[in-house]
Amino acid sequence: MSLRQKLLLLFSLTVAAAVAVVSWTVLIRIRHVFELRDQEETALFVSQFQREFQHESADVVAAIDHLASGERVRAMSNDLAQTNDTGAYLNEAANLAQDVRLDFLEIVAPDLSIVSSAQWPARFGYPEPAVIQATSGTFLKREELPDGTVALGIFAVRALRGSEAPVRLIGGKRLDQAFLADLPVAPGMSVALYTDPVASTVGSPFDPKRLVGPAGELPAAANYKALVNTVRASGNQRSAILYLGRRREDSVNVTAIPLKDATGGVLGVLLVSVSRSGLVAAQKHIRAIAYAVAGAAILLTIGLSLWIAARVSRPVEELARAAEAVAAGDWNVHVPERGRDEVTVLARSFNHMTAELASQRERLVQSERVAAWRELARRLAHELKNPLFPLQITIENLVRARQLAPAEFDEVFDESTRTLQMEIANLKTIIGRFSDFSKMPKPELEAIDARTLVDRVRTLYSTSKDGMHFEAQVAAEPMPLMVDPELMHRALSNLVLNAMDAIEDSGVVTLGARPVDNHIELRVSDTGQGLTSEECERLFTPYYTTKQHGTGLGLAIVQSVVADHHGTISVESNAGRGATFILRLPRAIA
Amino acid sequence: MLRRLAISCIATALVAVLGTPAGARTRPQYGGTLRVETEGDAWQKPSGPARRLVYDGLTSPGAAGTVRPALATGWTSDNADHRWLFKLRPGVRFHDGNAVTSVAVVSALMADCGSACPWTAVRATGTSVIFTSDKSMPDLPALLAGDQFLIVETGAGSTGPASTGTSSGTGPFEPASFDHGVLTLKANETCWSGRPFLDAIEIAGRRSFADQWNDLAAGRADVVDVPAENLRAAQQQHLSVLVSQPVDTLALELSDTGALANPNVRTAIGLAIDRAALANVIYQKQGQPTAALLPQAMSGYAFLFPSARDLNKAHQLRGGVTPPALNLRVEGGGAMQLAAQRIVLNLREAGFNAQIGPGHADLVLHRIWLEGPGPEAALDRVLNAAGPTADTDPANLYEEERSFLARATIIPLVSLPRAVAISGRIHDADMRSDGTLDLSNAWMEHGR
Repeated sequence: MSLRQKLLLLFSLTVAAAVAVVSWTVLIRIRHVFELRDQEETALFVSQFQREFQHESADVVAAIDHLASGERVRAMSNDLAQTNDTGAYLNEAANLAQDVRLDFLEIVAPDLSIVSSAQWPARFGYPEPAVIQATSGTFLKREELPDGTVALGIFAVRALRGSEAPVRLIGGKRLDQAFLADLPVAPGMSVALYTDPVASTVGSPFDPKRLVGPAGELPAAANYKALVNTVRASGNQRSAILYLGRRREDSVNVTAIPLKDATGGVLGVLLVSVSRSGLVAAQKHIRAIAYAVAGAAILLTIGLSLWIAARVSRPVEELARAAEAVAAGDWNVHVPERGRDEVTVLARSFNHMTAELASQRERLVQSERVAAWRELARRLAHELKNPLFPLQITIENLVRARQLAPAEFDEVFDESTRTLQMEIANLKTIIGRFSDFSKMPKPELEAIDARTLVDRVRTLYSTSKDGMHFEAQVAAEPMPLMVDPELMHRALSNLVLNAMDAIEDSGVVTLGARPVDNHIELRVSDTGQGLTSEECERLFTPYYTTKQHGTGLGLAIVQSVVADHHGTISVESNAGRGATFILRLPRAIA
Repeated sequence: MLRRLAISCIATALVAVLGTPAGARTRPQYGGTLRVETEGDAWQKPSGPARRLVYDGLTSPGAAGTVRPALATGWTSDNADHRWLFKLRPGVRFHDGNAVTSVAVVSALMADCGSACPWTAVRATGTSVIFTSDKSMPDLPALLAGDQFLIVETGAGSTGPASTGTSSGTGPFEPASFDHGVLTLKANETCWSGRPFLDAIEIAGRRSFADQWNDLAAGRADVVDVPAENLRAAQQQHLSVLVSQPVDTLALELSDTGALANPNVRTAIGLAIDRAALANVIYQKQGQPTAALLPQAMSGYAFLFPSARDLNKAHQLRGGVTPPALNLRVEGGGAMQLAAQRIVLNLREAGFNAQIGPGHADLVLHRIWLEGPGPEAALDRVLNAAGPTADTDPANLYEEERSFLARATIIPLVSLPRAVAISGRIHDADMRSDGTLDLSNAWMEHGR
């Protein structure tokens, strides 16, 4: 990853993180504020609903008061006191209840037996103990019905005044689907009622069918189970947010109000739900705006980051490219120097450094060139001095032989002539080697197997010297090479000749070839005297030789050939244990 | 002349019963159309109001369980009531003009009961009809007064007006039309008992009690049903009401299989029910708590069957065993539904779990019509559909009823009368001893 990319990533991440943190904080805060408002609104709705509920209770009390003060009931009370003929009033409760629109009404005799029951006419004569709890207000009570079901109702009790053993009226309204439908509710608010079928609510399982709203059974009644059970168990009002569907819009803020009888037992649970769809929609709207703003900010930031990163990284990138050029050998590279910051100082220093390096290299090249010429001159002088001295002696002998007899002169002349031809040939050889070193041909690459190359060299030299034994350690698998066969043969031959020279009387020369990774490794080993570490370091330096009559160009030529084939050459040796030359050439692609 | 005398006597009796001011009484007048409304169907067996207006039997029920001559002018028995001879009234014709012959009567009787006749054979002999049986038939005249053995003309060309879909009879009225649920009967000008005073009677069936009362109050009806539970209210509203002797028994029929296979459990159910509450409150003291099938007024021994509630004994007989939930089916509405609810409450107190519902029933609450005349015939019809009892001795009747009720498959609860309310302009309407309405001599004060 480039510096510019890193800078871009760093800037973008930093800004994105900052935007995310700010957005998250704002959203959390907004959500908190909305939920607070939602709770306040729900509490307001619940309060309003409770007032409506109290109005309904007051209506029940008013209806019972109206009946108790009516002449019809008074006449009935008097008649009952005189005749005790309760049968005549069997249907009276139903008629009275219809007049005042009460769901429940019972006329109870002084002995607490029912004279007439609107909700269960057949219960006449049975006791109604609930009238004992006569208070001025209302209370909740379960009421058994003829069909075996149990209904929950708001009841009030009134005793007819003016007699010692008064007739009582107990009446009320049923808390059911119709009751809920009559209650005024605010838009978005809904009410539901859960009634327990039995007196004891502890441990009784939640029955979704007993949870009804104004339109009947609630479709997602099971979602209320936990809240209803909590309120049934604790007897305390609870609020919770319930999700009635997969969408957040389908959630409601529910307040569960326990409905208790006079003893504190929970008879049912009234659920006041306020839809959160408006709240969720508003939250979504705000969140969408926040996301849009944050997205735009991030995009803008990325753009700015690109510009800043480019501006910051451009000098460094130029420096990097210059450094790469220097590493590649181009020491003439120059880095622009803009401004006065640290990068500019670095660029200036870099330019100065490259200028210095170029200058020093030039001086070094000149020094090496001088040294090379000197070495060449020394070697030439040394190489040429050896044949020149016999030439001089031979010429001097020939001059002195003019004074000898012709026969002796001829004998000296012939011998001198042979010596002169031999030394001149020696000079030609020396000059030819120098010429060869200076004119290394360009390799003409061909596909050849390393085994063929090794076998050709071994065959050529295996019988060339007595006491010399050749061994071959060649892998059986194909080892393709793309090389110039003649140059590579000459290089290998050079190494084999060196090995043979290293062995004085008898020894073993080993030729090897094996694949190593993507290369083919050729090895030439001898069992000679070996090389010192210093000799190993200088071995491939031109004109360096350990032989008495060597030119020091053989291994330099081998190294040149190997380098031209993109290979490497190395030597492993221990003094007295022979030496091994290792050539690593790239394996040809089949 | 005799008929006029009888009408005068009945009118005088009604004046005494209903307390109608004597100054309002006038001589019977011909003409007018009487409008009757009923909860059931006009032709409904066994007590549809049209049946006895259109058809006659060989005998007819008289007052206090007696039997009067009708199409038969007299009857004799011999061979220890194994053979009966009924002499037909001469000159009687069906509404379509065909003569009422002994052959036609035998044919009608055979059609009435088919293979379940209480006699072994019946044959026509001249102007008489002879019944023979392997068993003694001491109450055959009373049985023949029943609704089942009304003489309905059979055979080709015997049907009445096509619009009514009925057969011809010999009664004081004949079907004229049936339109929009209203059956119109016109006076039979050649009736053997004389032309009725009324020109026509319109019977509207399947009318609710509330509608009937509204129509009576609005003058759209002249005779309406009054169920026993409303009888008190009708009297309190000073309506003219005709009330029969108790002829219905509200009874609980119990299955003798399944949860109620044990007779003790069934008896416990009978002891758990508060009959007095049913009679005094639900039926407004118009019924009599009873543990007997036949009412006291009919049999004279009903008091021998204890009807008081005994919850402790009910618990004992139940023996601590709580049978599975019992289903109670009610064959009727109104007060019967209320009575059923009360019975369920009573049973709960005794440890039974009962509920009211349709379908298969362990308990069935229904009304048994004790069609007379006389206790023998009534009990025969309730207990012995195959034939009359051999003995009319009250002691034997009691024993027979007692042994039947001891099985506790039927628990009598309340004996109930039948009643109708009539408008003030109707005179000489009467209730027969079997609770059916007798309009054959009724007349209207202002005929229309």
